Amino acid sequence: MDPTQLRYTAEHEWVREEADGTAVFGITAFAQDALGDIVYVTMPAPGAALSAGVACGEVESTKSVSDIYAPLDGVVIARNDTLDSAPESINADPYGAGWLVTMQPSDPGQLAGLLSAAEYAALTLKD
Amino acid sequence: MNPLKQTPLAERHVAAGAKMADFGGWEMPIEYTGVVAEHTAVRSAVGIFDVSHMGKVRIQGPGAVAFLNDLLTNDLDRITSGQAQYTMLCKESEVLSESGGVIDDLIVYRWADDDIFMVPNASNAPSVVAALRAAAPAGVEIVDLHNDLGIIAVQGPRSKALIESMGMPDDHDYMTMAESKFRGEPVTVCRTGYTGEHGYELVAPVSVLVELWDALLARRDEFGVVRAGLGARDTLRTEMGYPLHGQDLSLDISPVQAGLAWAVGWDKPEFAGRAALVAERESGPRRRLRGLKSMDRGIPRPHMEVRQVAGDALAGAVIGEVTSGTFSPTLKQGIALALLDPSVNIGDEVVVDVRGRASKFTVTKPPFVEPSTRT
Repeated sequence: MDPTQLRYTAEHEWVREEADGTAVFGITAFAQDALGDIVYVTMPAPGAALSAGVACGEVESTKSVSDIYAPLDGVVIARNDTLDSAPESINADPYGAGWLVTMQPSDPGQLAGLLSAAEYAALTLKD
Repeated sequence: MNPLKQTPLAERHVAAGAKMADFGGWEMPIEYTGVVAEHTAVRSAVGIFDVSHMGKVRIQGPGAVAFLNDLLTNDLDRITSGQAQYTMLCKESEVLSESGGVIDDLIVYRWADDDIFMVPNASNAPSVVAALRAAAPAGVEIVDLHNDLGIIAVQGPRSKALIESMGMPDDHDYMTMAESKFRGEPVTVCRTGYTGEHGYELVAPVSVLVELWDALLARRDEFGVVRAGLGARDTLRTEMGYPLHGQDLSLDISPVQAGLAWAVGWDKPEFAGRAALVAERESGPRRRLRGLKSMDRGIPRPHMEVRQVAGDALAGAVIGEVTSGTFSPTLKQGIALALLDPSVNIGDEVVVDVRGRASKFTVTKPPFVEPSTRT
């Protein structure tokens, strides 16, 4: 997975548009590094409605907990069940095995409004 | 705001990629590679921690032990020269209800009747020094060595072999100390720690601290030495149920409430806060520090409310508050210390309000993990 080809939110989620029009999202390498060892994740169930910018889950590390914000409006198609037993995948491979949710966006145009890799990189440097 | 203080090892931590953060006014390493890996290394091999932010105070002069014994909770006559003891400095006020809270908890090292070394918590050290100076009789000197000495904790089952390889005394009992030398400078090898493992705390002049750190780390291939940060120190001590001042102990949380009556010399005629603590012990504390162990995936955090079980909801009455809580890397579940109503019994089920979710916990008596300090 090439992180430069993804879209990003200011809340440190990445989003990948699939060929079939669905979108996959997770948290960024920057976010997992800031959180430290991730030990527990809660994610929305398939069928759940998502609203862009609204919290839809939590990712918890040994030291703190952080909300997961939906990057787009839409409906959950799948959650990454493997994270229930191996949440550390988010640390090891945030853009691959550590993906969180696959969703069906309700407004395909919304994706273009997210940050580019360069814009997100500039944001994390400022942080 | 004052700039953060740094230990002599700060450059070493940054060079090793540590995440640094403010801890008690000191810029300290929280983690290097990750809390879980560092925690596991201490439980299975050996970890080295820079704990030079801790206070260091020497109390010297005729009657030093007698002076401290009239002030600190524990009975210094339970130990002799060469032994260490966990104790507390409590608040003494003319108003009984304002007495008995804990100014700080500390380890005292008894060298002689006129010579005691003391390690208070980093942020409390100035108030401990001030209280001692205010109370000290003529001839007893309070020497603040906070910035003159550093402390490296060496903790874990391989610590004994590591200390031996350094040519330092390794065979003394838990809660005792021995004198040694490193690069010609005096080093105290204390058999103390905050992890529950067999371990040592090396107290050395700041001038040799970097060399001492490097010498321990140079043996990493042989003994599996890992740098461990304050993040792992916190998960390790929470698994042991060791209280942290400012969370599980404070001016508002007395030794009786925190279950530390064992560290109070009740038969002593005098110590700060005595009248209030004796009264509280007799009437029974209004709350009691207990352990909580998760029955689901919930991870408790300080200040979360503890409630009675009421179905799956948060409708039960509030019966306490979490003071320390984390994910236990050893047990792989949430654990907490919590101040609970005294009517709550060991073995009871309770509910913790984990950000609006009702998470179920069992009330336990810490430790959560069996200590290996004396092995």
